[in-house]
Amino acid sequence: MTGQTSSPPPSLGRLTEIFFRIGNTTFGGGYITIGMLGRELVDTRRWISSDKFDLAFALARVTPGTNLIAFCAAVGEQICGVAGAIAAVLALTVPSAVVAVLFIYGFEAGQTNPIAMAAIGGTVAAVAGMMWSTIWTILRPHVGGALRNLQVVLIAGSAFIAARYFGVTPLPIIAAGTLIGFLWKDPKTS
Amino acid sequence: MEGPQDIVSFFVIYALLLKASLTSFSGLGSLPMVRQDFVVERQAFTDRQLNTAVVAGRTGPGPYGLYLVCAGYLAGGIPGALAGLLALITPAFLVIPLMRWLGRRAENPRIRNAIRGLLLAAAGLLVSSSVPLTLDAVTGPFSLVVLVASFVLLTFTKIDSALLMGGSALAGLATLLFR
Repeated sequence: MTGQTSSPPPSLGRLTEIFFRIGNTTFGGGYITIGMLGRELVDTRRWISSDKFDLAFALARVTPGTNLIAFCAAVGEQICGVAGAIAAVLALTVPSAVVAVLFIYGFEAGQTNPIAMAAIGGTVAAVAGMMWSTIWTILRPHVGGALRNLQVVLIAGSAFIAARYFGVTPLPIIAAGTLIGFLWKDPKTS
Repeated sequence: MEGPQDIVSFFVIYALLLKASLTSFSGLGSLPMVRQDFVVERQAFTDRQLNTAVVAGRTGPGPYGLYLVCAGYLAGGIPGALAGLLALITPAFLVIPLMRWLGRRAENPRIRNAIRGLLLAAAGLLVSSSVPLTLDAVTGPFSLVVLVASFVLLTFTKIDSALLMGGSALAGLATLLFR
């Protein structure tokens, strides 16, 4: 990817069209969508520099919520200002949200149909596997080395025990984890 | 026309889903708080329905967090889905001040360590939420095999999750042949 932009900023409609097209036709998760957007916005159209694109990617990862949506807000804002951020986020999410609601409506309506229930039963088990995969994806970058592993076990393990066996609600657990992380530095960064 | 009860529900659903969204850093990271607020405390829907919401969010294109829209729908119909969509996208706009003022401080070791602590706590919470959802999903040897296969394929290959959902639905249908 190039480090400089050479094209004038597009109209809001053109920007919306790109996010609509890529955001709603790309399957496989956020990284694939981000890769497609990078190819389109940085390499092909040169509406944003690779430096700003990379900064948007980094900051989206530390923004609460869904990383991909924050990333689109950041890139849209860099290209067309706040209106660009709003347009990019809506173009990415509204059509997919309509599809998701149609799916959940269909799933709920099929509750009494044995064929539908058999199909849903298979996908529900697959989602449970997806959740464990997500947990592993979160933990994987943080393991390696005795002290780092100890931090993982203590912080993640304590959060699990507090929630599962003592009924502590997520908010104080998240706050405690953040505070412990702030005070107990990662050996890898020292 | 929307009645007073619907309006209250809309804002309550929005507030609860926004809280979940604001305290997570990945699409499914909000799951523990959604489960706590809607399944455990308010019994607005069941673990099975929450699982189905995640399935619906992953079956089509778009970000992982779309299940919040489905959770909103289960809790409050179409207005609830709209509340879920707003809760999903609201935190994303925090990135704009972050881009403008935080900039390269995102690489500050203290900030990075705090985020690391947050992520580890979130992972522990996700384990806590995944246990009952897993127990609900595993109803026999077949579903256990699908669960393990799903974990292995998603963790160690680059399989498209929509393809996995389609395949597992077909596998579920295939079980009808053996009954």
